[in-house]
Amino acid sequence: MTTAAAAPYNIGEIWKFVRLSLIWMGIIFGAVWLVSWVVGAVIPALIDQAAGKDAVLHNLANIIRLLTPLIAVMVFIPINATYMVLAERRGLALLTVRKGPNRVGPDGFLQTGADAVKLLFKENIDPEGSDPLMFTLAPIIFFAPSVFGAIPLLAAVTSDHELFHIVNLPTGIFYVLAMSSIPVVGIVMGGWASNNKYSLVGGLRSAAQAISYEIPLVLAVITVCLLVGTLNVVDIAWLQNPMALAGLDNSPQAAQALQRWESIRGASHMAAPSISSIGVNSLADFGFLNWNIFGGDKFTSYLALLAAGKYTVEAAIFKGLAALLLIISSFLLCGLYLTGACAEINRIPFDLPEAESELVSGYNTEYSGIRFAIFFLAEFTNLFIVSTIAVVMWFGGGSSPFPATLYAPVMQALAGVCGAVNEVLKGIGLPAILEATTLSGAIWAIAKTYFLVYFAILVRGTLPRFRIDQLMDFGWKRLIPLSLILLLTVTFLKELI
Amino acid sequence: MFALVGRSIESLRQVARGLGTVLKHAAREPITKEFPDTMPQLAGHFRGRLALAVNPQTGDHLCISCLQCERVCPDKCIQITSHKSPETNKPELINFKIDHGLCMFCGLCTEVCPTNCIINTNDFEMADYSRESLVYDLKKLTLTQDESAHYYSKKELPMPKPKPKPAAKPAAGAAAAKPAADKPAGKPEAKAEAKPEAKPESAEAKPAAAAPEAKAAEESAAKPAETQAKAEDSAAKAIETQAKTVETATKAEETAAKSGETQQKAEEVLKAAEASTKTEESSEKPEEKTREIDLGRVPAKSDEAAETKAAEEPKKEGEQ
Amino acid sequence: MTLELTSPELKTQEMIINMGPQHPATHGVLRLVVTLDGEIVKHVEPVLGHLHRAQEWQGQNRTIFQYQALIDRVDYLSGMFTSWAMARSAEEIDGLKVPKRAEYLRVILSEMNRITSHLLWLGTYLIDLGAMFGFPFYPFREREKLFDLFEAVAGQRMMFNYIRIGGVVRNPPFGWFDKLKQFLDEFPDRIDEYEAIVTENPIFLKRTQGVGYLSPEVAMNYGMSGPCVRASGINLDLRKFKPYSVYPEIDFKVPVMQEGDTWARYMCRIAEMRECVNIIRQCIEKIPGGTTEELRKTLGTTTPEKDDSKDLDPEWLLMAKKQNAGLRIKAGEGFSAVESPRGTIGCYVVSNGSDKAYRFRWRNPSFCNLSALSHLLVGSPIADVMAIFGSIDVILPDVDR
Repeated sequence: MTTAAAAPYNIGEIWKFVRLSLIWMGIIFGAVWLVSWVVGAVIPALIDQAAGKDAVLHNLANIIRLLTPLIAVMVFIPINATYMVLAERRGLALLTVRKGPNRVGPDGFLQTGADAVKLLFKENIDPEGSDPLMFTLAPIIFFAPSVFGAIPLLAAVTSDHELFHIVNLPTGIFYVLAMSSIPVVGIVMGGWASNNKYSLVGGLRSAAQAISYEIPLVLAVITVCLLVGTLNVVDIAWLQNPMALAGLDNSPQAAQALQRWESIRGASHMAAPSISSIGVNSLADFGFLNWNIFGGDKFTSYLALLAAGKYTVEAAIFKGLAALLLIISSFLLCGLYLTGACAEINRIPFDLPEAESELVSGYNTEYSGIRFAIFFLAEFTNLFIVSTIAVVMWFGGGSSPFPATLYAPVMQALAGVCGAVNEVLKGIGLPAILEATTLSGAIWAIAKTYFLVYFAILVRGTLPRFRIDQLMDFGWKRLIPLSLILLLTVTFLKELI
Repeated sequence: MFALVGRSIESLRQVARGLGTVLKHAAREPITKEFPDTMPQLAGHFRGRLALAVNPQTGDHLCISCLQCERVCPDKCIQITSHKSPETNKPELINFKIDHGLCMFCGLCTEVCPTNCIINTNDFEMADYSRESLVYDLKKLTLTQDESAHYYSKKELPMPKPKPKPAAKPAAGAAAAKPAADKPAGKPEAKAEAKPEAKPESAEAKPAAAAPEAKAAEESAAKPAETQAKAEDSAAKAIETQAKTVETATKAEETAAKSGETQQKAEEVLKAAEASTKTEESSEKPEEKTREIDLGRVPAKSDEAAETKAAEEPKKEGEQ
Repeated sequence: MTLELTSPELKTQEMIINMGPQHPATHGVLRLVVTLDGEIVKHVEPVLGHLHRAQEWQGQNRTIFQYQALIDRVDYLSGMFTSWAMARSAEEIDGLKVPKRAEYLRVILSEMNRITSHLLWLGTYLIDLGAMFGFPFYPFREREKLFDLFEAVAGQRMMFNYIRIGGVVRNPPFGWFDKLKQFLDEFPDRIDEYEAIVTENPIFLKRTQGVGYLSPEVAMNYGMSGPCVRASGINLDLRKFKPYSVYPEIDFKVPVMQEGDTWARYMCRIAEMRECVNIIRQCIEKIPGGTTEELRKTLGTTTPEKDDSKDLDPEWLLMAKKQNAGLRIKAGEGFSAVESPRGTIGCYVVSNGSDKAYRFRWRNPSFCNLSALSHLLVGSPIADVMAIFGSIDVILPDVDR
């Protein structure tokens, strides 16, 4: 019976999907990199060269440098959303034993491009009785914050590359969270301006949902900030990245890094014996255990000190238990954040603002043409941004999951390639384009982010949606108490280890 | 409290189980059928576009203008024009119209047709630009001889008996049936006799009874084939009359297609087809070639295959 | 579970929302005029008739033979049962005894049809609950396989026109039974997979358990039938309650749940699909003449020519009445009902002996089940309107006829 029931397996479709994804990622990566290099390095350098002693032109060059992250994000978002829509459609097709769009371009490569063109040429319909200004403004308000919110994250995932260093905000994570909570205004506006009962209900639901789920979400992020000791996204990512410290024992960079580390964490925050006593770079070999989802360097410090025999037996057991609790708490925090983020961006199972079986299409029922396209674009961009926040906060930003000693050869090879490319560019009088740590960081960050995006697609393919009152129940009666408990627990555990 | 934690863990486990089950499907064979590229495998009894069959052996138009289908049609989409032939005093078909825009493909007309003339083909692609073009007239409806043969075997219909006087062929049916006109009238009758004889007998007795007549019929068929300009096509259309196994039909088709262009070659193929030695090896291949669903297919047995081979009748056909 | 989003001192204005006939979630073209107080449904008025095709009138103005081809459209998801109900009524008037083989084929095909109907319900119900993209494709995949089998035997995928007055149209083609057996072997595994995804899913349980409670009394009063009442603890299944055809010879259980909520209706249908597999398995074993291959081997032929020959065992025949354009049934009247996937579908025929019936009257399960909707929905939030409406599984052509 089981032999007869064995379904035929087909790896071909998966391979097509992987191939498609890799090509698209290459395009995204290359485009953003090239644009930011041209805008942030080449053009200012050329202007500087031509300017001589003209201060105005030098200022112009600096202004262009400052605009680099914005331009990079502006290039990144549309291309990325194009791929994400395709990935979602092909991914869902894989999960539902279909083939998905495969007609436009090889394997449906250009499908979303074609769809976008179609949407751009469609008529913009203003429904009768709508508020034209609000109706037009809503998608823009929905979309714009995601552009601004992405900028600090860009610096975080590229290991604070000099091109994006300009926007290294000390309160980066608050800025990002504040930006990510603005889109709901756009949804409410769109729902209200549509003059449609379904849209209105959708918009109001969205407001209620966003308010409810922002609390656990922010609390989860705050808890991590508390654990790490900084609000700067670049620093949060950097602290989880053992590569920055690896193999730099005697170099000036090592001293610099150690100093930075000490300044962020503050030795006083650490219970004795401190990790400083055996050297911070001993953390580098713990690889992915340094990520905040495993309790960050609190946990790895404990492991390193334990290995170095710095603890008494009682202290080892006591701190071990605390570390275990910390890991569990961190997992729950991450789950909490992902749940809240799902609700924040209206993904299944929290897609009540656009619940199809109840509200037709919710707040965007009346939208068409380019305005709908912007809603669509922003939805996917928001998904990407909340995934990036999760990666920065819990999954080590741009760090590789491998121990530093294992990963060192790869880094050396990367450095060799980057050096060769830069040498060639230097030969023709252009600024350097690649940097090994940045390259590695960006690749790992985008891979991890897409892992979360694919997970969201899987969830979308599986779960039904909550009812609105159950959603509120779940948010207020489960997630918020849990987040408060975790905040308290982590505060204590932080001091105990 | 603990109950709550337990329930939460159980819920998470169930969600994970669901996610895992869905993820498992990623490696399953996709069920998508890329329709215009790969045609669906339709069963023989599929009720598609209506068409009028001709006698697969003689090419005579089978419609006798009895108006049964017109009367039974629930949608009144069939319109038959006929007049009484002055020679035979029998109704003679002038035009036959089916409005496929009205038709609901219930297949009742095919059931009441006394001559199995109107049949549901497996064709379902009828999209057109106007309603008028969905009204099919006699010329558009009439199938060719080999198409008729194909559907007769696929739908497992009994072969029609030829008309007593082939000379009185319907005027309009001539388009499809013209090459068959000069066929000797004696031949199909011989076949028609062979069929009822062979049927009641058991499987072992069949070949003995059927072979001589069938062979004779085949030779008689080969002769008019010489006169045909395009005999290579004619060899390809082999109709089995007794055990209507599709394999043997397509096998003969294949062997014939492989043979050369000349008419002599076609004759050789006919003779080769008679030799029962070839039946075994080639009976496997055509299975993939036919578009037909294997549900309607009869598994070929070795002894039956030999017998049906001998009974095969090469068809001459002027089309293409 | 009652929902308290409103308190007595907080007065809100009522809002009337039209759900349908173009709402994406209404099955077919039902229009629900929903009066809302906040998100709570105060009153529901189903507006029927958008799909009224005068099926009964058509039956009176066409010959019986023509009408047989039309009645698949009454309930297009379970055409076998509508055909069967009419065939049984006519056979009752005629006093015909349908051959055993035909009866077994009817049962096999009907139970297959029950599976396809429940599978479609399963997929669309999950859409109603919001699992838009993943799950609904899995039931449809199995449904397609069954449709291929229907197509091979009946000629079309949904408008079968297979069960006729006096028997069935034809024997399944060669290899059909093997394919069916293969499907039956793999289908229980597939149901397990559906259940792994859905049945224990916490969100699904939250959305269904305790939602849309239907008490047995209400179900009885509204004349409901099918899985809806069986989920409320009433063991009403015509196959057991008033056995017809060859069901007495088959050993099967009727799944009955006591909870009466949406979840129970879901479980009932899942259990019914498993029972269908069981019934079809038994039928394949017991069918007189065996599979088509065995039958033709006994007859010594490979074609269907002798399937209706006179010298055959009468139990092996397919048809007890000659099918032709002038098909008549004797003067008289008869009513008989069969258990369709949605409940009791009955057909009342008055014949005056001509080739047209004097009167046709259908008793449609969907219509009766739908009548309880306004009772079920009042007091539930608007988000549950579709969840409850979907759970009673109505087919709008069946409601409007």
